[in-house]
Amino acid sequence: MAKKFILLLLICALFICCGIEKKWHTSTLLVFDTLCQIRVFCSSSTFKTAKKEVNRIFTEIESRFSPDSEDYASPMVIDLYYRALHVYHDSDGCFDITVAPLTRLWGFLSKSYSVPTQDQIDSVLEQVGMEKIKENNGILLLPGMKLDWGAIAKGLAIDLASRSLIEVGISRGFINAGGDLYCWGKNPDNQDWNIGIEHPRTEGIFGILSISERGAATTGDYQRFFIRDGIRYHHIFDPRTGYPAPGKQSVTVCGPETLICDALSTALFVSKEPKKIMDKYPEYGAIIVDSEGNLSFMGKSYPFRPAE
Amino acid sequence: MDRRDFFKTMLATPLLTPLILSSKKTTHDLELYLIAENPQLFLSTLLEKIQEYSSTGGRKFAFLNSHPNEKSIKKSLLQKGWRFVQEPVSTNLVLSFSHLHHKALPSFTLVREGRIWDIRSQKLFLLWREMNENHELSSCLTMVSFKNRPSNHLAGEFVSVYKEGRKLATLPLKENVKRSFKTQTGNITAHIRNGSAWVAESSCRHKICLHSPPVSLAGERIICAPNHFFLEIGRSSSIDTVIG
Repeated sequence: MAKKFILLLLICALFICCGIEKKWHTSTLLVFDTLCQIRVFCSSSTFKTAKKEVNRIFTEIESRFSPDSEDYASPMVIDLYYRALHVYHDSDGCFDITVAPLTRLWGFLSKSYSVPTQDQIDSVLEQVGMEKIKENNGILLLPGMKLDWGAIAKGLAIDLASRSLIEVGISRGFINAGGDLYCWGKNPDNQDWNIGIEHPRTEGIFGILSISERGAATTGDYQRFFIRDGIRYHHIFDPRTGYPAPGKQSVTVCGPETLICDALSTALFVSKEPKKIMDKYPEYGAIIVDSEGNLSFMGKSYPFRPAE
Repeated sequence: MDRRDFFKTMLATPLLTPLILSSKKTTHDLELYLIAENPQLFLSTLLEKIQEYSSTGGRKFAFLNSHPNEKSIKKSLLQKGWRFVQEPVSTNLVLSFSHLHHKALPSFTLVREGRIWDIRSQKLFLLWREMNENHELSSCLTMVSFKNRPSNHLAGEFVSVYKEGRKLATLPLKENVKRSFKTQTGNITAHIRNGSAWVAESSCRHKICLHSPPVSLAGERIICAPNHFFLEIGRSSSIDTVIG
């Protein structure tokens, strides 16, 4: 009897040593120039595989969709281009991946910020607009045009990475890369995940979303900006005017795909008619903070409570 | 000026080295160490330029301790549209004063995320060179800390006080209190007011902890290395993560 008990103990110890016991793991990786937080429930050995997989996916997306990338023909690029084009049409051009020349003109790439003249803006606007892109065995850009995948590629990376973790058998967790997230299963308290949304002007959060099997993304005027002569200039440009889009401080979108949440949060931030866009995405909901700090909700409603 | 000379001049003051090393442990976006007899002559220009290069928001400032040039600094910053606030907790730009043991060449050093920011290719370098060449030696060190915009940080609920890795106390941030703790070099006093905590008095040598701006967000710390002592903000939260 005693021998059997010892044998059982040894087997248990072996299982634990091999990392089969499931527990919560958290890790932070540096990707897309931002911190990517992963929290998953699995064995230690699965977690090692998960981290490698997330790193591999983010590295691939980062290199394919970096500002310097000249890849306009690979299937992944073409696929994301069509997803972006769809949102471009649905948002009447408010979401546009061709804003890169504007981002450069205002100094957001070099971090040498400057307010350009109207002539400079008008000249750069000639190189902005997805309708100017030609398609022929890939994407053909006009001279001077440049793509900025920043408002959609991170969402794609999170979708691919979370799908991959679910495929290896991880049934609960989240991936949060800066403003974009996907969460699935239940949290450690066996509830839906409680996702705080950062306050655009003060420390802390302004509210909490409780979701699962959903993505969420936030676009805010506080993420990258500079102040000149007392005026705040942020990095979310209206591709039609060439100026930072006015009227809002932050937009959060929640829905089935993080990629769409990512693109829609930018589209709604820029648009003067956000409801018109949301009507085309019935599975998605938005929380908008206007320039006065007032909250409004649009589209599908997800459980939300204001922070204390 | 070659790279070696540039860094050598900035690091010439022995007091700056521990300060710069300590800034690696803090969560401040940017720190400015200005050695000048009359810091008010340079501060407003410096702050304007820094705002151009860095997304340090807000135009409010406060003093953490008394500064011999406080009046003139206030006057020069107010003229440039900055707003003075009494409470260091309600601003992300905090000025403090320290007296250097030896006089040094006037200069300024910028430390961004724990690393010296090489400004030789920026407009700021002209100002740096002018200061370095044309002004009298000074022992007046003005430190300016730009507190980082919180990312993934939540407002704290309590501050835990540790010495030698052992928790000495947990104090709620809601209460306004001052508590002293015995340390290797004497005493250290933690001050809590309006949801923020900071070190109000310390018997340590360089007083780095004393010049650390108040902390209020979960995870933020103030460290006093000589005393093996630190404060850490915590919260008992039901939030799993934060986006934004």
